[in-house]
Amino acid sequence: MTTVRWCDGAMVRRCARQCVVQRCALVACLLLAADARAQTTADAAAAAFKDDVHAAAGLACSACHRSAAAGMYDAPARTATAPLCATCHGDAAYMRKFDPQLRVDQFAQYRTSGHGKRMEAGDGRVATCNDCHGAHGVRRVRDARSPVAPLNVVATCGRCHGDAARMALFGRQATAPEEWSASVHAAALVKRGDTSAPTCVSCHGSHGATPPGVASVANVCAQCHLREAELFRASPKRDIFEALGQAECLVCHGNHRIESPPDSWVGVQEGAVCTQCHDATGDSGAAIVDIRRRLDGLQAALSAADAILTRAEHAGMLVDEGRLALQTAREHQVQSRALVHAFAAAPFAKTADEGLAAARRAHEAGEAAMRELQVRRQGLGVATLLVLAFLVTLWAKIRRLPPA
Amino acid sequence: MTHAEEPARRGVLNWLLGLWGGGVLASIVYPVARYLAPPDIPEAAALSTNAGSAQALAPNSGRVVPFGARPAIVIRTPAGELRAFSATCTHLDCTVQYRPDLQRIWCACHNGEYDLNGRNVAGPPPRPLDPYDANVTGDEIVITRRA
Amino acid sequence: MTDGRWRAWIDERFPLDDVLESLRHKRVPHHRYSIWYYFGGMTLFLFLIQVGTGALLLLYYRPSATEAYESVQFIVSRVPFGWLVRSIHAWAANLMVASAFAHLFSVLFLHAYRRPRELTWISGFLLLLLTLGFGFTGYLLPWNEVSFFATRVGTDIAATVPVVGEGLLRFLRGGDDVTGATLTRLFGFHVAVLPAVATALVAFHLLLVQRHGMSVPPSIEQRAADPGTVRSIPFLPHFLLRDLFAWTAVLAALAALATFFPWELGAKADPFAPAPAGIRPEWYFLWAFETLKHVPPTVAGLSGEVVAVAAMGLGALAALLLPLLAGESPRARSVVVWAGAAALLFLSVMTGLALRAAAP
Ligand code: HEM
Ligand code: FES
Repeated sequence: MTTVRWCDGAMVRRCARQCVVQRCALVACLLLAADARAQTTADAAAAAFKDDVHAAAGLACSACHRSAAAGMYDAPARTATAPLCATCHGDAAYMRKFDPQLRVDQFAQYRTSGHGKRMEAGDGRVATCNDCHGAHGVRRVRDARSPVAPLNVVATCGRCHGDAARMALFGRQATAPEEWSASVHAAALVKRGDTSAPTCVSCHGSHGATPPGVASVANVCAQCHLREAELFRASPKRDIFEALGQAECLVCHGNHRIESPPDSWVGVQEGAVCTQCHDATGDSGAAIVDIRRRLDGLQAALSAADAILTRAEHAGMLVDEGRLALQTAREHQVQSRALVHAFAAAPFAKTADEGLAAARRAHEAGEAAMRELQVRRQGLGVATLLVLAFLVTLWAKIRRLPPA
Repeated sequence: MTHAEEPARRGVLNWLLGLWGGGVLASIVYPVARYLAPPDIPEAAALSTNAGSAQALAPNSGRVVPFGARPAIVIRTPAGELRAFSATCTHLDCTVQYRPDLQRIWCACHNGEYDLNGRNVAGPPPRPLDPYDANVTGDEIVITRRA
Repeated sequence: MTDGRWRAWIDERFPLDDVLESLRHKRVPHHRYSIWYYFGGMTLFLFLIQVGTGALLLLYYRPSATEAYESVQFIVSRVPFGWLVRSIHAWAANLMVASAFAHLFSVLFLHAYRRPRELTWISGFLLLLLTLGFGFTGYLLPWNEVSFFATRVGTDIAATVPVVGEGLLRFLRGGDDVTGATLTRLFGFHVAVLPAVATALVAFHLLLVQRHGMSVPPSIEQRAADPGTVRSIPFLPHFLLRDLFAWTAVLAALAALATFFPWELGAKADPFAPAPAGIRPEWYFLWAFETLKHVPPTVAGLSGEVVAVAAMGLGALAALLLPLLAGESPRARSVVVWAGAAALLFLSVMTGLALRAAAP
């Protein structure tokens, strides 16, 4: 057979004909009997393969379908798939020819993953290469159409990890993808289009996917949330959590459904995360209450300043300086919220107080604008009275003009 | 009504008319005069701002200056080049600063880092900083927004 | 008697007495439609306000894409009473357009365009167009989002004018698109070309009005026993004091509007941003905007837009030449009334439709 770039329906039929000639009657029959189905799947595979990175690199069907020469195109066994891909993708000398930057450790990583270990033990139900990357339409990860591109990868993992029936077989829950969808991370990715926002693979890895261990959670989160992680690691909490065997960030923030943390999480009342360990008693209770009081005070000052500035703006006043001060106050609010992770009152209080002062300045600017507005209206009032008096007198004068 | 009364009344009327008319005129002239007097801040700060002495900005350092209603940062790279960016972090709007130890622009709020070209290279910032033009006239650094 | 000496001094050099004398003899008919005589004076007054406030704005305004917005912002936030001056200029512009329209239709319905006042009508109609021109060119000057996109849409319409459309578009925009070049250009029109032409036309218009006196509507003339005996009042002081009354009242209204409904500035124009929703021209151009929305894509094989623009142009031309087209007969007059009413109805309905479409 001649080498072909891809296999289309016509070619499958040509193969069948050749089989008849070559007295492989059984194969020919099978092929022809399954023609309708085979033709469509073969067509679909062939069509998909046209847009495949391997086709673009000049590979043919036979690269994976090793018995293609014999006219046989059956899929490799699931347990054999990863080793098959690795024959090329684990071969640095070979891959370099296509792209010197390509990594070749995927298979090695895969073998350390939950998926890889089971697969190696002969359990074909877990994910292997083509489950995530596809088989005939494999695209580069940075191609937005790839099933593992940032916007698609959660759905791809979710095909199994969001399927309760499938997960039940492994004694696992299928809630993670849905929980993630309600997280700030999902909002950043989907609503804001920030493709650097974390998806499954950012925390669990891709080829070496496993749940991060208790001790490594902070490292995972710190990829982005470095400031909080630094503060946390320098704080007394780190040793305490370690001693308790608690998973750092997760203790307060949870895992998949990471929500925007409200100030009310700090506190000793119902619903506050501190209550897992603390109550209102003792120094720590007092410190928590104090931090919360300042957070609330800052937020209230910000809202009040924003409200009065908005009111002034709606009345047509420009309050740039007020907005600038409000911006500064917001910045301090953001910083003070980060500083909560130092679990100490002093550095937090300093920043929060600076924020409060800025919010007050913003509020004063708003008040000044409202006062100015008042002055304008009073001025208008005086002028209008003068005009009215003038008009009344003028009218009297007009009435008293000598008859025409 | 006698003839004597009539002109008297008209006199009062004219007098009143003059009084109120003068008031009306005053309420036109006063705002106009105030408008004509040069305001305390003589010009609209628009597209460019002075960012202080160029001499005083050593290599591997930066300076945050107000630019309109927002801050801008001007840096001198270790190689001595001047660059300017919006100093508003693209993550949650904190004001960034220059970190000589990292040789990067750094946001204290969540440890966001931008390289010397303003590209977001570490931490949460999703986008690069908006670049401005920095030029030197005399010893004065002038930052200009790109139109 | 210093007063007399002054008068004599001036009179020797300028015939002030003649002018005063003729004004003293000027009389204005007094009948039940007299109220409509005040709209011309009101339009003039508003024009003077525009000249005054416009000149004040010029002290701080900067006509360039990079600075226009900031300078207007500076005017309204930093210059004492700048907010008042700008808002009065913007509000008075709208009142002036309204007043000019009222003036035009009152002249039309009272048949004041008849011989020998043809040129008065024609110069007046040109003044209305100039007023619209002032509005159009002034709108872009603050260089804010709404005005930028409205100007883009508005100038686009010019492109549909048959034959010269493309050229007209480039002429208005000073290039292929609305840019800083457009701003500089419209600024030049707004503060130099249009005021110069308008001032000359206003002078001509007033001279003619002075020459011919106020016209008496035919219906009033017929009803009077003897055509020469329609009741009238002296211009000085009777009519002028009434004028003064109306002007002062409008001035107070303008100040109140400016204080309670300051003209918005909005966000600075960003030529590369997508057009925000709800972009509309000023209300006095809405009728044209709406009409273009309703014409079918093709009319008799021609582009519907082109046909509509051509029809509007013809309509304007007919209105301009109205006194030459309409005869003297009572029948001709009733045709004019009906045509005027139809035009008024059309303008109101189209404006109403556009406003309703814009309301949420
Ligand atoms: C000699 C006469 C005039 C001068 C020197 C003048 C000058 C100006 C200037 C400098 C501006 C820009 C400032 C601003 O936008 O607030 C402006 C805006 C404007 N002008 Fe005039 N103007 C004159 C007459 C008129 C007339 C007669 C009209 C209308 C019928 C008019 C309508 C407008 C409008 C609608 C704006 C935009 C208002 C705004 O959004 O602020 N102007 N004019
Ligand atoms: S605001 Fe700058 S990193 Fe968050």
